[in-house]
Amino acid sequence: MNYYKVQKLKSHLFIACLYCSAAFVLAPLIMVIVFLFYKGASSLNLDFFMNLPKPVGETGGGMKHAIIGTFYMVGLGSLIAVPLGIVCGIFLAEYGKGKIPNCLRMASDLLTGVPSIVIGIFAYTLIVVPLKGFSALAGGVALSLIILPIVIRSTEEILKLIPGHIREAGLALGLPRWKVIYFIIVKGNLPNIFTGVILAISRAAGETAPLLFTAFGNMYLSYSLTGPMASLPVQIYNYAISPFEDWQRQAWAGAFVLIILVLGLNIVSRLIVNRKQLFNKK
Amino acid sequence: MSENTPILTTNNINIWYDQFHAIKNISISYLPNSITAIIGPSGCGKSTYLRCLNRIHEEVPGARATGEVIYNGQNILDPNVDPVLIRRNIGMVFQKPNPFPAMSIFDNVIIGLKLQGVKQKSKLKEVVETCLKKAALWDEVKDILQRPGTSLSGGQQQRLCIARTLAVNPKIVLMDEPTSALDPIATGKIEELMQDLKKEYTVIIVTHNMQQAARISDYTSFFVLGDLIEHGTSSQIFTNPKEQKTEDYISGRFG
Repeated sequence: MNYYKVQKLKSHLFIACLYCSAAFVLAPLIMVIVFLFYKGASSLNLDFFMNLPKPVGETGGGMKHAIIGTFYMVGLGSLIAVPLGIVCGIFLAEYGKGKIPNCLRMASDLLTGVPSIVIGIFAYTLIVVPLKGFSALAGGVALSLIILPIVIRSTEEILKLIPGHIREAGLALGLPRWKVIYFIIVKGNLPNIFTGVILAISRAAGETAPLLFTAFGNMYLSYSLTGPMASLPVQIYNYAISPFEDWQRQAWAGAFVLIILVLGLNIVSRLIVNRKQLFNKK
Repeated sequence: MSENTPILTTNNINIWYDQFHAIKNISISYLPNSITAIIGPSGCGKSTYLRCLNRIHEEVPGARATGEVIYNGQNILDPNVDPVLIRRNIGMVFQKPNPFPAMSIFDNVIIGLKLQGVKQKSKLKEVVETCLKKAALWDEVKDILQRPGTSLSGGQQQRLCIARTLAVNPKIVLMDEPTSALDPIATGKIEELMQDLKKEYTVIIVTHNMQQAARISDYTSFFVLGDLIEHGTSSQIFTNPKEQKTEDYISGRFG
């Protein structure tokens, strides 16, 4: 074999390795989706979205309460964490040097690493114990702690990508710094910031552990801030470990709905970014 | 103000980056409606000096300047002077074309005025047209004002940035190597446009390109390692320099 052929073989081998690793990463995701579709889609019907659970022994019923509960608590968590997170992210990106920003940065990194069950315990002691009961509020707060650090760091990273001379150009127009930051830097990058926000929210939507002993779960539809509330992940958990075949079937369906929800949010965030790129290329 | 009263005067400017002494004792006066070029080898402090003229140098952590920059009878380096107001009179165009992201051409031009509180639509429209005309960009973009500023070519973007700077109606325009990221044709357009700008504004430009300095400027300052070696009319600097170093530099023997 001559030198050129050896090089070519090496190159092909290397590319084959790259494709193999890509396949290893993609395979679990595809398998999860296909498996959930196979197991769950058959129990999925309009009833699943429109009805509450039926008593044990009767078949049918749905997870309307859990779907609404998930939206309710994720919404509550976002309401708390997203504005705070974006503001903190702006602070880190624009005034990111010194002791306080470094502390904030470390705190949000640590918060990302805290196991979600620990966040659940924290919300339990903070809210469930003083209020003497499981509540949607506690669930929302627990989820906000999942969302917060992701929003902070993604906002910071996105704003840091903007070159310094853009800020200087704003200042050179005789504008005060806060106007440059708010109207030029932040407004010019809202779609990117929202991508980070959506990813954080989709992460929170799938969390079970922080809700187990905060919102606890509920077999009935509830809109009360101070009462226990159902959520998709907890409902799936409860149904999956139950001895009733119909419930197990519904757990699969719930899991399928949940993954579609999370996947959908991710795709939406991609689309936002792509649309912006298209817009810029025009 | 008569033609011979300087619009801007610097007295004994010294600039440090932490311990590094970047600019040493520089004093120059600038006449209204003139173009002054600052030339010199890389790292000689040209940009640093230019950036202190509207206090944008304060954006670099650790930078501090002493001395006086007199504009309108006031030392603008005085900490009691609001740099925001100074920059409305002394604008700046940067090395890289940097239209603001996610903003249309129209918005890019008027953003300065808009954020200063001008709301009248007819006034804003008028400013967009006059400034884009002054920046020699109007004919190319008048039908696409709603497209994003970043969709233009590099040379057009830089002229958009010039229009943006002119829109807040400065008296002095600082330019920090405005053509170094552009091709010769775009450069030519900007050089041409500068001759028109001179009628209304005072321009101070940093450039790497000595031919450019010779072509466009009335006065030239030659900097080496933070020192002002020579300042004079461009025709004198480029044909009959007083200093040996200047002659070596412009003839290519040094730098």
